[in-house]
Amino acid sequence: MRNKRIPPVEGFFRKNSVLSGLMVISPIIVCGNTVINALALIYAFSAITFLSVMAGSFVPKKLPYGIKIIIYAILGALAYIPVKEAAEMFFPGVIDRIGVYFMLLAVNSLITVQSEVKFYKMPKGKMMLSLLCHILGFDAVLLIISAIREVLAYGTFCGRIVDSDILISGIGMPFGGFIILGIACGIYRYIAPSGKNTDDFGGDSDVFDY
Amino acid sequence: MFLITELVALLASNLILTQALGTSTLFIAAGSKKNLLWTAITISVFTTLGAFGACLVDSLLPEGMYDFRLLFYVLIIGILYILLLTVLYFADRRDFSTTRKYVHVSAFNCAVMGTLFTLSDRADTNMLDYIYAGAEAGTGFIFAAFVFTAAFSRVNSKDVPASFRGFPASLVYLGIISMAIYALN
Repeated sequence: MRNKRIPPVEGFFRKNSVLSGLMVISPIIVCGNTVINALALIYAFSAITFLSVMAGSFVPKKLPYGIKIIIYAILGALAYIPVKEAAEMFFPGVIDRIGVYFMLLAVNSLITVQSEVKFYKMPKGKMMLSLLCHILGFDAVLLIISAIREVLAYGTFCGRIVDSDILISGIGMPFGGFIILGIACGIYRYIAPSGKNTDDFGGDSDVFDY
Repeated sequence: MFLITELVALLASNLILTQALGTSTLFIAAGSKKNLLWTAITISVFTTLGAFGACLVDSLLPEGMYDFRLLFYVLIIGILYILLLTVLYFADRRDFSTTRKYVHVSAFNCAVMGTLFTLSDRADTNMLDYIYAGAEAGTGFIFAAFVFTAAFSRVNSKDVPASFRGFPASLVYLGIISMAIYALN
């Protein structure tokens, strides 16, 4: 694993899961086109990931890697059930629009890959702080990208019409998501310290160390 | 004409380029052509064999238990995960430390899990349709890997500004390919 001594708060910006590691990008590309969708995804991602990773920290470390990964995925699938029940009350109609991406959040990389290669190597307190920072980092990126896409594609913000001179409907489509995320990733690398060297960026490729 | 129609159908149903499923995995494996090829093949094995289990779950699971579908899909992939690791171990113990990585990276990701979730929309209720749709999704991943490999050296070239080199340029490239495929639809 690279960069073993990473301060736990770096998951929010310098080691952002989305912009640095390109993890959990499918829901952002396809469903991150309105703020309402983003809020539903943020709720589901945060709740499922936090519950699963915390529960997974009690799994015996001596088990083989493959067995542990299966247990983490099962924990994610179990956490998904009550989270979805609650989401149907908080975000009626949105869950159907998000479709399979809502379920896919339950087997996201933070649960099935990063938990083992990163979080469970830390003491509990530090792990919780790091996990929260990674979750907040994902939430912030999703919210910002969704807001930009909603304004540019539909001329609305949270469903309310805003004064927008140019509408580019393609930005709301998956290909628009690819392009906007690519541009956001480039800007992030320009701003982030030591972000210009692609070797500095980790992500799920850590799994090849196993 | 038949081949062209099939190629267009394969492109239009490509889960990476139309639904961004498995994009992260594509980037993980893109570091080397060998990794990319073997990851794509392993994902195809997972989607094809997983389709068999998905068909059983979809036909046997009562309607009121729809939320448990994810749990059963995870169990199916978990069983396949262990089976594949076991087969690889007994097939070639010397290279097991290398080959197991492809299984680790391919098991629980959006490409495989997303395929299982979309199968019920793409296939009729019979088993053969499911397996065909699973194999088609896997082939789509191999195709997307091939398309991505074609531009890999260019998006990582020194001609691309440092901030956009690698992942960012790759995302924009996939976006442009995805736009072309959207036009095909």
